[in-house]
Amino acid sequence: MMLKQIFMMIWIGLLSLPQRLWLSLATVITIAVVVAVLLAFLSMSQGFRQTLGSSGSEDVAIILRGGSGAELNSVLSREQLALIETAPGLLKRDGASLVSGELYVVVDGIKKSSGTKANLPLRGLGPLGVAIRAPAITAGRMFIPGRNELIVGEALLREFNGFEPGSMLRFGATQWTVVGVFSTGGVFDSEIWSDLGGVQNQFNRGSSVQSVRAKLINPQAIESLRSFADQDPRLTVDIISERRYYAEQSERTSDLILVLGWPLSIAMSLGALAGALNTIYLSVSARSRDIATVRAIGFSGFSAFCGTLAESLFLSAVGGLLGALVALVFFDGLSASTLGGNFTQVVFNFSLSSDLFIQGLWLALLIGLIGGFFPAIRAARLPVAQAFGSR
Amino acid sequence: MTVALASLSLIWANLSRSRLRFALTAFAIFIAFFLFGILQSFERGLNAGADLAAADRLIISNRINFTQPLPIAYVNRIAAIEGVRQVSHQSWMGSYYQEPRNFIFGFAIDPQSYLQIYADDIALPPEQAAAFIQNRRGALVGEDVAKQYGWQIGDLIPISSNIWQRADGSNVWDLVIEGIYRAGRANIAANTLYLHYDYLNEARTTARDFTGTISFTTLDPAQNDAIAQAIDSRFQNSAYATETRTEEAFNRSFVEQLGNIGLIVLSVSGAAMFTILIITGNTMALSIRERTGEIGVMKVLGFDARMVFALILAESLALALIGGLLGVAAAQMMARFISTVPGFPFPLGFTSGIWLSSFGLMLALGLITGLLPAFAAYRLKPTAAFARA
Repeated sequence: MMLKQIFMMIWIGLLSLPQRLWLSLATVITIAVVVAVLLAFLSMSQGFRQTLGSSGSEDVAIILRGGSGAELNSVLSREQLALIETAPGLLKRDGASLVSGELYVVVDGIKKSSGTKANLPLRGLGPLGVAIRAPAITAGRMFIPGRNELIVGEALLREFNGFEPGSMLRFGATQWTVVGVFSTGGVFDSEIWSDLGGVQNQFNRGSSVQSVRAKLINPQAIESLRSFADQDPRLTVDIISERRYYAEQSERTSDLILVLGWPLSIAMSLGALAGALNTIYLSVSARSRDIATVRAIGFSGFSAFCGTLAESLFLSAVGGLLGALVALVFFDGLSASTLGGNFTQVVFNFSLSSDLFIQGLWLALLIGLIGGFFPAIRAARLPVAQAFGSR
Repeated sequence: MTVALASLSLIWANLSRSRLRFALTAFAIFIAFFLFGILQSFERGLNAGADLAAADRLIISNRINFTQPLPIAYVNRIAAIEGVRQVSHQSWMGSYYQEPRNFIFGFAIDPQSYLQIYADDIALPPEQAAAFIQNRRGALVGEDVAKQYGWQIGDLIPISSNIWQRADGSNVWDLVIEGIYRAGRANIAANTLYLHYDYLNEARTTARDFTGTISFTTLDPAQNDAIAQAIDSRFQNSAYATETRTEEAFNRSFVEQLGNIGLIVLSVSGAAMFTILIITGNTMALSIRERTGEIGVMKVLGFDARMVFALILAESLALALIGGLLGVAAAQMMARFISTVPGFPFPLGFTSGIWLSSFGLMLALGLITGLLPAFAAYRLKPTAAFARA
């Protein structure tokens, strides 16, 4: 009996929605806007984290000068590189350790979306460095050392002007040619690669490098590499797995996006909540006669409460779904780039996972719950006689 | 006078007839303008470096990218170019105090020329300036940083660099605070640490005799473009080709690196405004519809149709202004609070421009949401009103 009453009240409430079409629609739209804004920020943060956080391997160690914190700031000498090559725990190929000394310098590129200059990383690396990452060449060919040739990451090509295969670039007094496009997935797709010697030469680095990548026999072998470096006073270096290096960099930026996105969305939710409360209060007052009537024929106050709450939850669910769909259509997969931890641009795609989709819906339902709760109490307490008296 | 007062009280009575609805709608407007104000303040704070850049200073950086070095010898060669008045230079220090997370904006500079060129940004008592110039290991710090770490003049501070290493392998540079400067202009942060380039250059192991960027002023600002071109073509074919820009363009390029901040701010503010437009518009339309009978009565009593129109428009304007002004005021307080958080990288100014544009938006909101209901009331015939009622 009780359940039937509740069901009836919910049904009556929903059927009467078209009578308050514009107001109900307004509530749906405001909640949709809030959810869409929240999901825009969340999918931006998640996309950045996915791109950077999934970059690098567990079994590749990055070796940087102690305290430098990032490849850009680090310097290591040819002698230090030679020492690292003799370390234990490294994977060998044809008798040589898979160790790659690399340069990481910043050059200018023009962002397609804004036409403004942006920092792009130019990485100088040798054949072992290429072997460690095993990129797929998706267009053109690999660079040939000594000929000032470049290959560019797929993502970089997408977001920045002037890097199509065949393009000429000028760094200082020399011309460089883009000969190919590569893809590894993750952060390297935002980089420009060339051979180590050429970059050392152009950027006056002598035989020094900035970072060293070393392929480990397994992820645990990083400890034997560390203790090897600790015992040698010539190696004041920091050693970290490549995966962790990029994961830490991604956290700073993606957390910053969340720190900005959540408060903005919560503030907007409060605005939408005020709108929802308005709508549902109005619905209660518009239906006060109906509610009083059914109460007079024996419906419980609780069923009136449920009917009103259901109306609010229904509107917010529709709004939440609409907002999430808008976010899915407009933001999911959207390509963008921003400054990453290495002071260079990282290209990433907004990513709207089902997890975030559900977070957006929860926010909408929370607005609906609070927005319906107080008017529902009013509906439940509506004095039967007074309702008949009003007009 | 009495008519005006009566109208005011009538507007208020209409607004507050349904207190709850009025409060909720005003609150939604409050939130939207609060967001608008704080986002505007943020965007302006980010762009302050460019907006407040001195018009007469130019910056030379390496054409490849501003993180690439320039030979220190360029400083004298640029000083010799016709039309150049004063030249100085700065090198990024990558400095922090004790822990990498205590990051400090730090530059190695040529003290004498730098303090001359940047005299309007760096407010410093002459005796402190002299002491800083004199001591090779001297440091000049902004009052914000000094306050954050409790530094006084005469303190010996070990500053670490994540870039520059000394021959003994240490990356710690011992400095003596010789001066604490204030920001010379409003909305500029005093959060930078300066040390002598000579001290850094002699002890560092890499990039010796190179600097980061070169700043200069000209004798005649009208000649700036020509001089910039002369400099860039002078070094065009060297291994260190230059790019000369105004300080404004140079600073703006930093913010642009972050992404399209303007677009994000515009989208979020736009979404918030759109939302309250819908909420307020509906509320107004509804409250007029509920009063159809009353409006009919007013007309029968002899209220002019134009008067009815004006009263309803005034009501929606009052609603927008009450919520909006409170919202912008709250945003201003919030901006002031955020600026006092230690380590926040730039001051959040709250210019009269923000107030003006907010005010414009409030008027627009009030007009847009009030016009249709007001027009409906204007055309309403008393007979129809009573029939509907």
